[in-house]
Amino acid sequence: MHKSKKETLSEIKRIAREPFLLVSIIVIFYLLIAFVIFPIFQVLKTSVSVDGHLSFANFTQVLTKSYYIRPLINSLVLGIVTATIGTFFGFVFAYAITRTPMKGKRAFRLIATFPMVSPPFVVALACILLFGRAGIFSGFIGNIYGLTGLVIVEVIAYTPTAFLALVGILQAIDPALEEAASDCGASRTKVFKTIILPLSTPGVVSAWLLVFIQSLADFGNPIILSGDFSVLSVQAYLQITGMYDIARGSTLAIMLLVPTVLAFYIQRYLLSKKSYVTLTGKPTSATIKNLEWYIKTPIYFFCIFFAAVVVLFYGMVVWGSFQKLWGVDSTFTLNNYIDMWASGKDYIKDSLIVALIVTPITGVLSIFIAYLSARKEFIGKNLMEISAMLTFAVPGTVVGIGYILAFNSKSFFMPVSLTGTAFIIITLLIFRNLPVGIRNGIAALNQIDPSIEEASIDLGASSSTTFRRVTLPMITPALFSSLANSFVKSMTAISAIIFVVSGKWNLITVAILGYVDNSQYAQAAAMSLLLVGIVVIALGLIRLVTSKMGQGMNYSNLEGEN
Amino acid sequence: MKKLFTAIIIASMLTITPCFSQGTNEGESKKKTLNMYTALDSEEAKYYLDAFEKETGIEVNEVRMSAGEVAARIEAERNNPGASIWFGGSNTDHISAASKGLLEPYKPNTSFELIDILHAPDYEWSGFYTGIIGFCTNTNYLKEHNLEAPTSWADLLKPEFEGEIEMAYPYTSGTAYTTFGTLIELYGLDGALDWWKKFDKNIHQYTKSGTACIARAGLGECAVGIGFSHDILTKGIQNGYPLVMTFPEEGSGYEVGGISLIKGGKETEEAKIFFDWVFTVEAQNLFVKYNRIPVNPDATVAEGAIKLTDINLVNYDAIALGEAKEANVKAWRDTIGK
Amino acid sequence: MDNEFLKLVKLNKTFGNGSQKVTAVNDIDLDVREGELVTLLGPSGCGKTTTLRMIAGFQTPTSGHVYIDRAEMENIPPNKRPTSMVFQNYALFPHMSVRQNISYGLEIRHLSKSEINERVDKTMESIGLTGLGDRQPRELSGGQQQRVSLARAMILEPKVLLFDEPLSNLDAKLKVSTRLEIRRIQQRVGITSVYVTHDQEEAMTISDRIVVMKNGVIQQVASPVEIYSHPRNRFVAGFIGKANFMRGNITEINGDSMMVKTLSKVVKAPYWNKDLKVGQDVIIVVRPESIVVHEADEDSEGLLDGKVIHAVYFGSQIIYEIELKDKSVMNVEISDPQDNIKFQDGSDVKISLKYKSLHVLPFEEKVDNE
Repeated sequence: MHKSKKETLSEIKRIAREPFLLVSIIVIFYLLIAFVIFPIFQVLKTSVSVDGHLSFANFTQVLTKSYYIRPLINSLVLGIVTATIGTFFGFVFAYAITRTPMKGKRAFRLIATFPMVSPPFVVALACILLFGRAGIFSGFIGNIYGLTGLVIVEVIAYTPTAFLALVGILQAIDPALEEAASDCGASRTKVFKTIILPLSTPGVVSAWLLVFIQSLADFGNPIILSGDFSVLSVQAYLQITGMYDIARGSTLAIMLLVPTVLAFYIQRYLLSKKSYVTLTGKPTSATIKNLEWYIKTPIYFFCIFFAAVVVLFYGMVVWGSFQKLWGVDSTFTLNNYIDMWASGKDYIKDSLIVALIVTPITGVLSIFIAYLSARKEFIGKNLMEISAMLTFAVPGTVVGIGYILAFNSKSFFMPVSLTGTAFIIITLLIFRNLPVGIRNGIAALNQIDPSIEEASIDLGASSSTTFRRVTLPMITPALFSSLANSFVKSMTAISAIIFVVSGKWNLITVAILGYVDNSQYAQAAAMSLLLVGIVVIALGLIRLVTSKMGQGMNYSNLEGEN
Repeated sequence: MKKLFTAIIIASMLTITPCFSQGTNEGESKKKTLNMYTALDSEEAKYYLDAFEKETGIEVNEVRMSAGEVAARIEAERNNPGASIWFGGSNTDHISAASKGLLEPYKPNTSFELIDILHAPDYEWSGFYTGIIGFCTNTNYLKEHNLEAPTSWADLLKPEFEGEIEMAYPYTSGTAYTTFGTLIELYGLDGALDWWKKFDKNIHQYTKSGTACIARAGLGECAVGIGFSHDILTKGIQNGYPLVMTFPEEGSGYEVGGISLIKGGKETEEAKIFFDWVFTVEAQNLFVKYNRIPVNPDATVAEGAIKLTDINLVNYDAIALGEAKEANVKAWRDTIGK
Repeated sequence: MDNEFLKLVKLNKTFGNGSQKVTAVNDIDLDVREGELVTLLGPSGCGKTTTLRMIAGFQTPTSGHVYIDRAEMENIPPNKRPTSMVFQNYALFPHMSVRQNISYGLEIRHLSKSEINERVDKTMESIGLTGLGDRQPRELSGGQQQRVSLARAMILEPKVLLFDEPLSNLDAKLKVSTRLEIRRIQQRVGITSVYVTHDQEEAMTISDRIVVMKNGVIQQVASPVEIYSHPRNRFVAGFIGKANFMRGNITEINGDSMMVKTLSKVVKAPYWNKDLKVGQDVIIVVRPESIVVHEADEDSEGLLDGKVIHAVYFGSQIIYEIELKDKSVMNVEISDPQDNIKFQDGSDVKISLKYKSLHVLPFEEKVDNE
């Protein structure tokens, strides 16, 4: 928005009069530049420099070697296939939940979204236990090490993403529209084709892009299952850890970064365009009619099938964790848990400490940035928003490489080297988890009528008092959902973390990957279960607290009919 | 709400502050600590380190990584190493790191004379155990397909094993590079690459870690794995996997397990104590459990463990191969394309 | 007594830039006396709310000044200004009880507990909220929420109380009783108030003076009576109450009256606006209630011929649409219709205009509110 000099000046004056706000903005800018932009810039810089000079030699080398190009093509193929199948599955599931009278919706919903709270590679582990040569369904789907296996596990892991994106879109389509269409004489198929599909298209495309991004950035599954089907995230990792070749590793990372960031911005653009969905006024009392059997049956069958697959995969991990030697000796034993505890309790402790530090900081910081972004006007606000959201699109591999490049030695932004400290792990996790929290916060804030905050200011409260006493209590549910997300992601992260773990600070996911690496699948299963257990308990606690605090706190309905 | 808010912030500050300190600075308690990178398995490393801690009272913080990862980490951290000692991993990796000037020469105090192949000329690294490259084959698979276990490099090219052999990438694993090095010693670089082009058809997949293929062969995920004898015994046969171990009759390579001081490491004194301890009879006797062949002549050798003298060995020039590693690996990748 | 307690000087506000530039408020000058209730009235988008928000400090003027009690407000943030606002949707804090809502501003000012309690009790009593202190806002009716909002603003004893369409969310009946109550309380406390609304009836009943705004420009500032009987221009005439417009030309000015020749007849009208001259094109503003309907066969001076095209019976009144010979249509309101014969659609009638109620304006083209 254009402002006259006087307005700009008086706005600056106004911010300067609120020192808390001014200091916060400066601190946040420093943090975002140091921990988001600087590391990614370092990757970029490393990829385009040879012996300290600007050069695209790395790129020309990478683009002329088949063993660098193939991972790029493979990653894109995997992303496209996974995104297409995952979005389709997610759509059917979302349709079943929002548009059919299916029974047990809550259970289905829980099962379908469960893969989100487990570390990504647990599905891959289950896949080996099920379909590997020593698995129960050995040979059922041929060689699982490669595209087939990866598509299966990534579809299971990322369908929840598509489902959650689509369920909101479908829910927002007023059933009265369907009634109106069938009232005009449209058949069920016609209604679907002319009403549901066009209205949900932007949502479908954006769900597709989200899954595409996640598949491209996935590291945990391909490192276990890719076989000869090498993908970029793993190849960049091997390039750095196996070949000690940071330059080309960074180059591969940039090649991974470009399509993901592109997809991310297309997705944002789609969502920012006005959707028709919001045009419909108040929800009407129109209800879901009973669907014909030939529509219901395949949808129900599909939902049951998908839920069964998820249960089967995780059940397999449970079963596997109690076997003496996976694939050879299936005697029931608790030894895996005992061994796992003996050698893994330090990892668990470190993981918990890190997550418990990361969680509250991420929660507070993300809500605060959301507040600034939704409620305040200041110079550089757009820049703050863009950089805060950046890590959401950037694959973990890129962030991990960026952090080792950026913080291994002193720099302008950080007076000490952070390598080997818990601080590097903590900051990495905080800034990776920030975007989701910010989005939660902005969504919650957008539901609150700004005049409620204006009323507080009008009554004499400063902006910080208003935030503390009025805004914060109203967005508590959003804060807690950010906390939950941050905790889960801190406990289950692998792709970026694997670059920055150290002797002093090591994490449970890295330990599990080590077990898988040694084909100690039973121990890996035991530790994975423990991890999932911790996450589920923590989520339960957070939910309990939220529902206690949020009792009857549905504020969004309070404001007038305006 | 205000208090809660403040409390959260203060609590975060308090918890975060100690995290700034690097392992080495945490010396408030009088306990001495040693930061270590190890390429041994966590479990095995712990077994040795517990014994060391008990004996010396020095607390060891170890990070387990593959030898390649350790080398990369040391290089990345050359201005500010996160550890003082590198324990384990094939000596080729140590040699490669030494050639980049990342290691600190140290001649350990030993009760015996280290033979030439067990140390760098100027002691940038020393060897504390040895192991021989061998094949492990799933016996069920052999029975099912009525085959004999491979006993030569030539056997590995047989069409019966198409898509059935696993090993690590020569560029991510010391074990796999030693295998590659053995073939270079046998056939020269070009010959080795020609051999490998045929061999690649029989590969099911390359793994990152050198030992992964052993359990995978045991599980039947593949038929044959290529690894070090001690790993095959410890992780395969002694775990109960149906495996048989064989060696190539043309000649096999061997590794020397390396230990070295990291240049710029902060706990030099503790590192040297550990260095010397590794060569004592007490320490070397511990290797029995993991079937490593000790270098101390007075130490006990595990039952069934293979000695360097039992097998037809190639003349493995670890130093030359270590120095040429980057070039050799590049040639391998350019040829095989993986 | 200060004559200009709240003073707006050349206040401007523009949004956007280039071709997108919109002037929301254009060079507004306004003086509000102490204790006065002034209403900013106009259609949506006329700049009335923007003006109010500039007084409160939520919006920064592009240029111009706001003075309250002689103090320039430019560098004073909204939370430090001596103003309190009653919001359109009340903006009650949903997580606080009624009492907490009302005491919020006092707590911010760090008053003692006992003083806060005393003042809250007093305010709640005077506004009729006694006994509702522990309720949550969502447990209150719309009218009660509105009163909490008023109490919360008034308890701070601001120098200027601001109302942003406070009644727009209430139903019609409640609107009437609440606006009377607001007016009563305002007069009792004697608090200077600025009141924004788009409802002319509300403005008429509540205000000491009304400021009619259109497209960011003030059209007229006057008392309700003045603004109804002597609108300054065609927009104000049409916006405040209903009006029929007859085009004409002044043929004669004679002392306090003048003759205006319209298409159908020469009409005699009072001569208020001394700027008008003989020969000038003018518009006669005829309020619907200033027209008398006669039987078609009645014959006396000054009657105009017409035909009823539509008659609607409202109980307390009848509204006729009557077409004159020149095809222009007049809206006519007849109160207490028992006294009158109800003319059927299509019947010929004659009408006369009440001389004293006529108001003559210089000619203007039709404006968009008609």
